[in-house]
Amino acid sequence: MTVDWLYATLWLAGWGAFLIAAVALVRRGERRLSPGPRDFRAPISPDSGGSDPISAYLDRMTGELALPAADVAEVRAELADHLNDSIASLEAEGMDRETAVREALGRLGPPAELGRQLRAAHQSTRRLLAGAGGGVFAAGGGFVLGSLGGMALAIVIATLFAAVAAILGRIGVSLPDLNSRENGYAAISLLSSFIVAAGAAIATRYAVRTSAGLSRRAPRTVALFWAAAAVVAFGWWAIFSQRGLQSWPIVAGEFCIPLVAAAGALVRIERPMPHVGRWALAVVLVSVIVLPLLLFAGTTTSGSGLQVEPWSPSDFNLDTVAPAAPAAWLPPDDIVESGVGDAQAGPAEIDAQLISQSSATSGPLPIAAVLANWRDLRFEAWHSYPIGHNSGPVGIDTNYRTPFTVQPAVVEGDTLKAEFHFERLRDARSWWVVLTGIAPDGNRYRLGDGTGDQTDFNGSAWDWLTAPQ
Amino acid sequence: MPGRIRAQLLKGTTTLLVLTVLRDGELYGYEIAQTIRDRSGGAFIPSEGALYPALHALEADGALEASWRESDRGPRRRYYKITKAGLGMLEDHAQEWAAFSLGMGRAVGGANR
Repeated sequence: MTVDWLYATLWLAGWGAFLIAAVALVRRGERRLSPGPRDFRAPISPDSGGSDPISAYLDRMTGELALPAADVAEVRAELADHLNDSIASLEAEGMDRETAVREALGRLGPPAELGRQLRAAHQSTRRLLAGAGGGVFAAGGGFVLGSLGGMALAIVIATLFAAVAAILGRIGVSLPDLNSRENGYAAISLLSSFIVAAGAAIATRYAVRTSAGLSRRAPRTVALFWAAAAVVAFGWWAIFSQRGLQSWPIVAGEFCIPLVAAAGALVRIERPMPHVGRWALAVVLVSVIVLPLLLFAGTTTSGSGLQVEPWSPSDFNLDTVAPAAPAAWLPPDDIVESGVGDAQAGPAEIDAQLISQSSATSGPLPIAAVLANWRDLRFEAWHSYPIGHNSGPVGIDTNYRTPFTVQPAVVEGDTLKAEFHFERLRDARSWWVVLTGIAPDGNRYRLGDGTGDQTDFNGSAWDWLTAPQ
Repeated sequence: MPGRIRAQLLKGTTTLLVLTVLRDGELYGYEIAQTIRDRSGGAFIPSEGALYPALHALEADGALEASWRESDRGPRRRYYKITKAGLGMLEDHAQEWAAFSLGMGRAVGGANR
């Protein structure tokens, strides 16, 4: 394997610079949101006890601010200083203290009005735009860091699950087999959803805290906007745009992503984030050093592979569909059904041909002419189950008494054809299609042994919810 | 009545007055109000309720920088310092004011004749 070192260096440097810039931006916003040095909380006046007119005035004024904690502390301390100076000056002019306090407060005007004017002064359009842009940038960095952290946690969870499964296995208790195709895919999908949800939660938290700090707004005042934006963006991504195999656990995991993203913006959002820089550094270090080591260790302990169990033709349960057609009404040659197309990504085209058994002829025979006495020729798609293990052949599932879908057999040249869509059916992971028809005696028979395969639901979480059973 | 008229006239001049006194050095809020009053011989006493929103708006616009530090007498104060952008803004306001006062002088003078 050759490594393009220039490309690799530029790639790592680019991501590194992006993450460093994002964390620096988050820390800048966070500094505005923290209460600030204690020096800002200067004593209001030597004899203030919290219930004096000055404290009451400042409380009323700061109640209108709706600014980050650092700004509120600064404004309060600045105006307290101003009042101290003003009162001292008035007292020096000969006023008694009570009159001086009343006069100084009167000069500042109504507290609520002053608070509203100060809030408007802080929350300029320029700062609002800086907050919005900074929030988006911080969200990008937060998503990367949160996803890396989620990945590290996911590997720890998977390792713990393997350890618990091994211990329980020794005492005869078995957990779901993650080597099976369906369980394995569900486990991987759930861990993927967990990783994305972790990234989404950190992204929205970074966005709220950063945009609040930069735009000089209290986090709770911008949190609802970011929560709504996160629900729309991550909801669209997780529920509508991610296509693939689905199941109820996978769909539940996908629906959790926008909810967790919104929770990241809303839950305890006024609480300062602890040591953003150190936390980010720890996540990056763990992701760069520990994850590759764990992944390397994981590749050396792979599973035992698939086991194929023996099976017999009677396992197919074809009589569940219909009895085999009497030989008298069938041509001497075999009717062979086959399926083409990718049943996981699009339509599966099923066709039936009359294949000559005679060495004198080759290829398909004119099936429509031979079956002229038959009516209502159709392909019936039945639920089936794997015989043996996942990769083995499939047989009719006798729990079902009717086919889950039926298509009329259309004559095209020498072939009977029908088109099925199995990739959007929730409950048809294994299917078996058989050609049936009504014979001259008025009864329905099957004309061949059919064809079958496995398929996976291939669509979005929304497709899964709205799919027919 | 004269006080009300003066308050009306002062509206809109707070920015110019604040930037003018800060051109000569750093001051904190109370000092700014006192300096304006002293320089105008008591003719202009800016509303203290309007002073702080004006200072914070100028800071948000980048015309002023504020920093907390120890004062010569007493506790830490929030000092304001004019920036390069603030000097440009002061120049614009001063020109506007000169044109306005000239025009107003002519108009009022003309009305008095």
